[in-house]
Amino acid sequence: MCLNKLQIIDYLWLLLITLTLFSAYMAERSTPELMSVLIMAAVLAIKGRIIVDHFMELKHSHRLLRRLMQTYFYVIPALILLVYLFPEKIAKWTSLS
Amino acid sequence: MSTVFDNNTSIKMRIEFPKTKLIPGSMAIWAAILSEMTEFALMFIVYFLAKVHNPEIFYEGPTKLNTSAGTVNTLIMLTSSYFVVRAVMAIRENNSTSSARWLWGAVICGGLYLVIKYFEYQWNIAQGLDTHKNIFYGVYYYVTFNHFLHVGWGTAGLVWVIYRLNTGVYTKDEHEGLINMALYWHMIDLAWITIFPLLYVIR
Repeated sequence: MCLNKLQIIDYLWLLLITLTLFSAYMAERSTPELMSVLIMAAVLAIKGRIIVDHFMELKHSHRLLRRLMQTYFYVIPALILLVYLFPEKIAKWTSLS
Repeated sequence: MSTVFDNNTSIKMRIEFPKTKLIPGSMAIWAAILSEMTEFALMFIVYFLAKVHNPEIFYEGPTKLNTSAGTVNTLIMLTSSYFVVRAVMAIRENNSTSSARWLWGAVICGGLYLVIKYFEYQWNIAQGLDTHKNIFYGVYYYVTFNHFLHVGWGTAGLVWVIYRLNTGVYTKDEHEGLINMALYWHMIDLAWITIFPLLYVIR
């Protein structure tokens, strides 16, 4: 099956909506376990990548700009995981006293 | 595809890709977008630092917020971004009427977002969740109100682009102003899809 650009954009919008509803479901139902935090971080990474690559049309664009924007949505999800896994250590490293 | 000869007369194949613009929009809008993304990144770092130093407060904080309002606003922002993409696709087909209609859809989404956020703040205050409640709500109001302002002037920018469309400034061949506004709007969307899990979902 070969999708045209309009069909791709339509499906990506549907995917973004589905991921958002899934996030809301997780917010209401789940307790903050590693798996749910991992899923939330992954959902953010996927949503960010879709918007950067397809909505902003950076997928085949200037390499540095594309990498900068894509990296943003690797770093924030990574920070979410690090803050969940090592809160005490990060608190210790960022304390003034 | 074409063939070229190197100095040793051996044949090499060269693939010719379609000529595409390297950077969508102008350099100026990208300077603005990267500055704004940096500004939001600093806010997210403040959120992470406040969270590790106040784990109990940040565990309880999201449970008191109106998740439905946050979810609906996320759906609205994503849909507005979709409308903006459709507006860009329409102007590339030289259909400025259709492009303006899609942009009006995005403007309505922007307005709805602002109205929902206003009532969310009112609902919070009725529950006693104001800026002085604790550090979680301090961060929540600082980040979300900052984003609220971006949606406000972004929506005004969309209306300006519609005006320009209606005066015939943008055509199939020249519509960089519309692209710039579309990119800026997507940046506002990117900021919100990051804020939503941080403040409403993850504990």
